Amino acid sequence: MNEQMLDIVDIRKSYRVGPTEVNVLKGINLAVARGELLAIIGPSGSGKSTLMHMLGLLEKPDSGLYSIDGTRVTYDDDRALSALRNRKIGFVFQQYHLLPKLTALENVGVPLTYRGMAADEIRKRSRTYLAKVDIEYRADHRPNEMSGGQQQRVAIARALVGQPAIILADEPTGALDQKTGEEIMELFRRLNREDGITIVIITHNPALACQCGRAVKIIDGMIYSA
Amino acid sequence: MNLLRVNFNEAFRSLWGARQRSLLALIGIVIGIGSVIAMVSIGTIVQQESIRQFKDMGVDIVTIRRGFSESTAAPFRADVIARLPQEKPLISEVAPYVNSGGDYYRGRAKITLEQMGVTAAFFSINKLAAAQGRLLSDLDANRYCCVVGAELAGFLRQNGMPEPVGGRITVNDRAYTIVGVLAPSAEGGLRPFGINRGMLAPLATAQRSFPNADINTILARVAPNTPIERLKAEVSDYFAKKSRGAQVEITSAEELIERMKKQMQMFSLLLGAIGSIALIVGGIGVMNVMLISVTERRSEIGLRRALGAQRGDIQSQFLIESVILCLVGGLIGIVLGTGVAFGFARLSQWQFVMSYTSVMLGFGVSTLVGVFCGFYPARTASRLDPIKALRS
Ligand SMILES: Nc1ncnc2c1ncn2[C@@H]1O[C@H](COP(=O)(O)OP(=O)(O)OP(=O)(O)O)[C@@H](O)[C@H]1O
Ligand SMILES: [Mg+2]
Repeated sequence: MNEQMLDIVDIRKSYRVGPTEVNVLKGINLAVARGELLAIIGPSGSGKSTLMHMLGLLEKPDSGLYSIDGTRVTYDDDRALSALRNRKIGFVFQQYHLLPKLTALENVGVPLTYRGMAADEIRKRSRTYLAKVDIEYRADHRPNEMSGGQQQRVAIARALVGQPAIILADEPTGALDQKTGEEIMELFRRLNREDGITIVIITHNPALACQCGRAVKIIDGMIYSA
Repeated sequence: MNLLRVNFNEAFRSLWGARQRSLLALIGIVIGIGSVIAMVSIGTIVQQESIRQFKDMGVDIVTIRRGFSESTAAPFRADVIARLPQEKPLISEVAPYVNSGGDYYRGRAKITLEQMGVTAAFFSINKLAAAQGRLLSDLDANRYCCVVGAELAGFLRQNGMPEPVGGRITVNDRAYTIVGVLAPSAEGGLRPFGINRGMLAPLATAQRSFPNADINTILARVAPNTPIERLKAEVSDYFAKKSRGAQVEITSAEELIERMKKQMQMFSLLLGAIGSIALIVGGIGVMNVMLISVTERRSEIGLRRALGAQRGDIQSQFLIESVILCLVGGLIGIVLGTGVAFGFARLSQWQFVMSYTSVMLGFGVSTLVGVFCGFYPARTASRLDPIKALRS
């Protein structure tokens, strides 16, 4: 069994905007080990989100190799890619991205519906993961009835519910005040420590990055160890 | 399976969430499906009604008309007609008649009266019954007596003849004693026009005293299961021989029903087409609402894709939404359209028939409109780039 959970080799990505070509990722090499808690820091516009979309199979690289959990990713089959995303990736976004009309419990269950799982089973699992992130008491609330920190906890439960290979969090504390942000960071560290969940966190905040096991820095599309 | 159910719930939630917009789209579909259903149902009712009038008289009736080409303009001769059932056993009964219309006055009051000369068979073939008094019999030949139609009887009662039976009615300077009043009879089918306003005198009397007394038409009853082609051949042959090469036109009730059914189908089709225009407008409304819905929910679509939804999952989510919208609209439209048809039948005093084909049609068409008008928006949704959709 491969020790690496994620392994990317010489990933490149550029966008064409009008006549000019913008090179966003200029040959990224990165390996994330099983059970690792990795922080990616870098200035705004350096390509952090682009890299995360790449890792999350939402974006196709121009060139380079990508393996996740021992599987080489091929980009020609959208069905396979969607299924891989559903099973291997758990996303946490800065803006939470909960569905406004669904309750917390229903929001958590969304990834499982795409596995064709039975409704009862989905509810049961969703509740378990809400409890895991200490937000079960808000199970029947809708997003607009919850604080930012509470919403982010629900979003983390949603990322966890499918038992993915890796959690990808893009500035998960970016929209929260400092205290709540620290609570969310603490939650990530606990999940990593107690359950051995592999997590990649993108952040602006060097202080938060220090709390992670390892940090790398992206500057202008190139990666450096920090 | 669960995904389908979730999609259904989602669709209802999202339609309810944007209920004002959904309602507008719904109204379009309701009007569209409603008018198709109303049109087709009314077409069916009209068709059933006219066929019912034919069936009322019996489908074993034919009319034999004198050909109108110049050389054979001689009218039918009563004695030739009378022998027809004996010579051609396919015909069991004949009822030649003459008719001419004209104004009839009582004081200042006027009615357009139908003067008819008939034999006893005329009453049985046309299924006419006496409401008062009696019908004419063959023994009345040459007598100046008559029976009057229901409407004419009503006219007489209102204009100084409270008891028509036994009264006298003067037409073209001849006075006829009224011996009976007919029960009202429906117009249509092979039944001669205007019986309700008719003054029916014995044929022999009519031929002596009516201004225009040529026998141009014969109603005849045919033996059961007679092939119409053979009947035509034999009857034509008979008149050609007996009446100096006279030509005849024969029309059977069945033929007329067939012809009418075809016309009615065209009519229904036309009505359906008119309704379809409303439906197209409604469909465009649905497509519009779905496109807005897709645009508004771009970030939801992006998120769902990020959580592992297949393109097909997204597509079916929106497709289900549009089909539900159209089906709900269709259901209301079916109820309304059927209601309109019911009201129409009531007003026309026609028999209402529930057209199950049109109900099925309504459901089928609304599903189709839902799929058709939802397809493009749903496809657009499923083709969105997840990242761009998420960022919006
Ligand atoms: N779809 C695109 N088309 C063109 N340029 C793009 C596109 N996506 C990203 N970029 C460019 O790529 C660069 C990196 O963007 P990215 O969102 O990855 O930055 P980031 O490091 O996440 O920044 P921030 O910290 O502000 O979130 C930016 O200069 C951006 O303009
Ligand atoms: Mg970013």
